[in-house]
Amino acid sequence: MTATITGPIAPPSRLSTAWRGIASLFRRAPLSAFWGVIAAVIIAMAIAAPAVAPYPPIKADFRAMQKPPSEKHWFGTDQVGRDTLSRVIYGSRASLTVAFGAVLFGTTVGALWGLACGYFGGRFDMVSQRLIEFLQSFPDLILAMAIAMALGGGITTVIVAIAITRIPFGGRVIRAVVLSLKEMQYVEAARGIGAGHARMMFRHILPQCVAPYLILATTHLGVAIVIEASLGFLGVGIPPPEPTWGNMLSDALNAGLVPPWWLVLFPGVAITLTVLAFNLLGDGIRDLLDPRLRGSV
Amino acid sequence: MYSYIARRLAFGTLTVVGVSIMVFVIMRILPGDPLVAIFGMEGFTKLTDAQRAAYMHDLGLSDPLWMQYLAWAKTIVQGNFGHSFFRAESVGEMLARRGPITAEIAILSVILSWIVGIPVAIVSALKPNTAADSAARFLSILFLAIPGFWVGMLIVLGLLFWFGYRAPLTGASLFADPWANFEVVIGPAVVLGLGQAAYIARMGRSALLEVIREDYVRTARAKGLNRKLVIAWHALPNALLPVITLSGVLMGLVLAGSIPVERAFATPGLGFAMFTAVSERDIFVMQNLVFLYAAVFVLLNIAIDVTIAVLDPRIRLR
Repeated sequence: MTATITGPIAPPSRLSTAWRGIASLFRRAPLSAFWGVIAAVIIAMAIAAPAVAPYPPIKADFRAMQKPPSEKHWFGTDQVGRDTLSRVIYGSRASLTVAFGAVLFGTTVGALWGLACGYFGGRFDMVSQRLIEFLQSFPDLILAMAIAMALGGGITTVIVAIAITRIPFGGRVIRAVVLSLKEMQYVEAARGIGAGHARMMFRHILPQCVAPYLILATTHLGVAIVIEASLGFLGVGIPPPEPTWGNMLSDALNAGLVPPWWLVLFPGVAITLTVLAFNLLGDGIRDLLDPRLRGSV
Repeated sequence: MYSYIARRLAFGTLTVVGVSIMVFVIMRILPGDPLVAIFGMEGFTKLTDAQRAAYMHDLGLSDPLWMQYLAWAKTIVQGNFGHSFFRAESVGEMLARRGPITAEIAILSVILSWIVGIPVAIVSALKPNTAADSAARFLSILFLAIPGFWVGMLIVLGLLFWFGYRAPLTGASLFADPWANFEVVIGPAVVLGLGQAAYIARMGRSALLEVIREDYVRTARAKGLNRKLVIAWHALPNALLPVITLSGVLMGLVLAGSIPVERAFATPGLGFAMFTAVSERDIFVMQNLVFLYAAVFVLLNIAIDVTIAVLDPRIRLR
């Protein structure tokens, strides 16, 4: 009574492929995997902020103003008695929304632009390269500041401002990839059987750009978080009372000649940990997707 | 060589003009109304149409855009950069007063980044995968993640808390009062320098590791030169070329980073002026400073390219 297995072995499902990818990340780069878990925890915290935070982030409590950390308020309270821990937790929402939104938007626009530049070449490419050069002549933060100021505060503005600073990177990298892909034989074959421009670009060339795109996007998350925090710190980010790590630090400076240490320490630790987590996770993903780049800057 | 420099300068001029147009577009043409930028949304809605028109006329904003652009370009060429909305001082005068402090911070931070970054890179590369190397790599990864302005705030707070010390808040010129000047610039310079040092250590390490494997290094060792000499004379100079280029790219980090860092230290430099302009919604000052920072960034990178070309004949001849 032994059952024999017949027929073809079932192909691995998408889910199990993804699972194996994660498992191999843990095996090959345990450090990156560890920071990946930290990043996941931060993201989960941002999503579940209302459940995790002990107090509402904008509720003032005039009986507990500017109190140092205690059992009731682990991270202390600010000038109007708002709980710093809750504000740090809610601040992760602004930070992550802006970082993901800006990187996704900026890198995608840049990548599509780079795809067009690399594919069409010629005068369009030349003009585009000059424009990208102009964009890259601005230090990131300064360009973001100018755009955020011109458009006026708000989360969409901040996302757009940071996204525009990410466009040149996507443009340059993907253009270079496309230029080398264009010479490949399979692309020539596709052209030979009469594929149109759209089919060539999106069906044959674009899929090959996915790995560099992912690497690019993950390595820019950390930068985007720092720019967002800096914009908040300089008063051109998401306006108060909505808590962001940047505007919390800015508020701390306005709290008096000697800012209370807990108002300075905790938001900064949150920024550092988040950036560290995304940077190291990005390194891990880069190593996994493109082993040739391992160890390079 | 001279044709290379001339070509770079010609492209640089083109870039600076392009940058000025881009700044103009961002500050004047983007959907935001300049009056909204100045008065805020609430203030703007309270103005009557006649008031709006009068303000626009006073500010020279009712001329056609190309005339406004040319008028601005004229003030740049004259070197006074027009006036702020709120102050009698022209932007040119402000630059003369505050510019040197930020320039000192930038130069000092670059020097510091090399003093810290290069030795770390050498130790890391010569003894890869040892405890020292791991420590250096961990520190550089950490410093890549820490926002400089926050480190600045911690330093200010720590000095106040433990030593009751605070750097002077007024600008002092390098020549009139060198010590006060040093007290003002050293804090921001250290913070920005450490931020750059992290990149330099990382890039220097991988550049050295690559160079050490080259044939000419092996030849030098084979002919009996001692190891330290080979590193110092043959390997290091070649490994430094990419680091010099990186230093140019990092100037963007220094110029932009100096804005929040100067705010954290309350340094009376240009970065702080930029912060003030943003909080006062002073678009004229902002427009000039943004242009100036970008132009300086472009020119510095041309200077770096030329330096590299002088040092490396392979690039010159291409």
